[in-house]
Amino acid sequence: MSIKFFRIVQCAFWRMGSITDDEVIRKRLLIDGDGAGDDRRINVLMKSFTKWCHSNFSPEEGFSQYQRMLTSLAQCEFSMGKTLLVYDMNLKEMENYEAIYADIERSITSAHEKIAECKKEIQRAKRIRKNRQEYDALARVIKQHPDRHETLKQLEALDRELQQLSHIKENVEDKLELRKKQFHVLLTTIQELQQTLENDEKMESDDTQESSMENGD
Amino acid sequence: MGPVELLHMSVFSQSFSPCGRFLAAGNNYGEIAVFSLSAALSPDASQASQKPILNFTAHDGPVFSLLSTDTHLLSAGNGEISAWSWAELIKKSTKAAWTRKPSYETSLEIPEINAMIINPKDNSLIVGGGDNNIHIMDMETGIFKSVLKGHTDYIHCLCFKEREEEILSGGEDGAVRIWGHTEILLSHFQTCSGMASQECARPQFGKWISCLATDSDWMLCGGGPSLSLWHLRSMSPTSVFPLPGCQREAVFYQDLIMSVGEGPHVSHCLHGGTVKAQIPCTPSSLNTLALNLKNTEHRVMTVGGSSHQIDVFTNFSYRAFSLSF
Repeated sequence: MSIKFFRIVQCAFWRMGSITDDEVIRKRLLIDGDGAGDDRRINVLMKSFTKWCHSNFSPEEGFSQYQRMLTSLAQCEFSMGKTLLVYDMNLKEMENYEAIYADIERSITSAHEKIAECKKEIQRAKRIRKNRQEYDALARVIKQHPDRHETLKQLEALDRELQQLSHIKENVEDKLELRKKQFHVLLTTIQELQQTLENDEKMESDDTQESSMENGD
Repeated sequence: MGPVELLHMSVFSQSFSPCGRFLAAGNNYGEIAVFSLSAALSPDASQASQKPILNFTAHDGPVFSLLSTDTHLLSAGNGEISAWSWAELIKKSTKAAWTRKPSYETSLEIPEINAMIINPKDNSLIVGGGDNNIHIMDMETGIFKSVLKGHTDYIHCLCFKEREEEILSGGEDGAVRIWGHTEILLSHFQTCSGMASQECARPQFGKWISCLATDSDWMLCGGGPSLSLWHLRSMSPTSVFPLPGCQREAVFYQDLIMSVGEGPHVSHCLHGGTVKAQIPCTPSSLNTLALNLKNTEHRVMTVGGSSHQIDVFTNFSYRAFSLSF
């Protein structure tokens, strides 16, 4: 039966001018995946229908044959309904999968973005760490040096001492100048006195010489 | 290259290309090897992609210093500086763009060049080497504009402070000198001697300074004395790092300080003075460390030293693989 069906389909396709045997066989197997029987059932139905029309059955046999045909028709309808439902289910599944796929795509892109963000964060954190380390290093060095207030106080004290000492130096220098001048005055007076005394002596000796010269004449 | 030569090879210098996809390394035989990072880091990398794409002899003596500008690779060996165009190197042509020699006082001995840096503001090349002086060359004209004299022994390392346009140089005499110039000629300098600070000094190693790095206000210097972090404005050492060997190169990276030297590891330290990690590497002692920050895809750190292998770190906490000469 299936071979006959296959040949009918093949002729039909030949008329369309396409497809090979394999394609047809594949399509055939796909369609009849429900299970062997459907196709046979339709053929049997057709055959029994023609036989029922053309033969002379007794009324009971005819009726029972009619019932049998009805059942097989009902079975065919049932299986058709089933395949329709399966088809609907497949469509819905497809939609579902499409939705999941889109969802996953979105989460992939958001994960990519998050990774980029985190990378930026890590760069920032590294910079911060470097700055902290540099700060610490400098702070260590600075701590080794003494406190600024202390040093300022010491500087001020030194300044004051310096000023005091310079005052003292000025005073001493002034005194020195004064004493120098006084001594100078003293020495000049002594010298003048000496000169005057010498002059006096000389004048006296001159006088005595003159008087002795006058006496000698 | 025979096995004995491979055993005795030391990598002295490294430089990344301006696009960040290639690494050039110079060794003690005067060869420069160019490695393709994109091939070595790609998912289908093999043993062959860890070999150089180009290996040629650039100088007679060891290549002590390599530097990349936007278009050229500058290499310095025994007294001469050669420039190679990166575009040509990638196409495997080994013809030098130019070769120049700074004017030395004595023409008898040719001193080696240990360090080169570029001043981007006025496009000049600053080299320091065995003749105790720093020569400044204008990149466009190729003329050696000026000489900075002051060191009493040869210069190991140079470093440049971008903000104030000052050059820092460290040498065998243990002094770190800061050269600033308001005009073309040198106008003033300050000395901050690493040995003056008792905390850093390690007299058993000597007083030579072999590594300098600066991060605007801060300076790292190390070598004979322990690696220490100095605050430049106040000229005081703020932290001393308890690393056992002599450090040959140190860099600032984000919030860490990475340094390499004697000992088969890269040390990660924090500014506070603690050594956070020591990552083991293949060479038994390291000479050079380079970070590829220009290219975000190939952001790696490479280290080279007394081995023919150069270790590559993709995540800076562990060694990923090694390139070999």
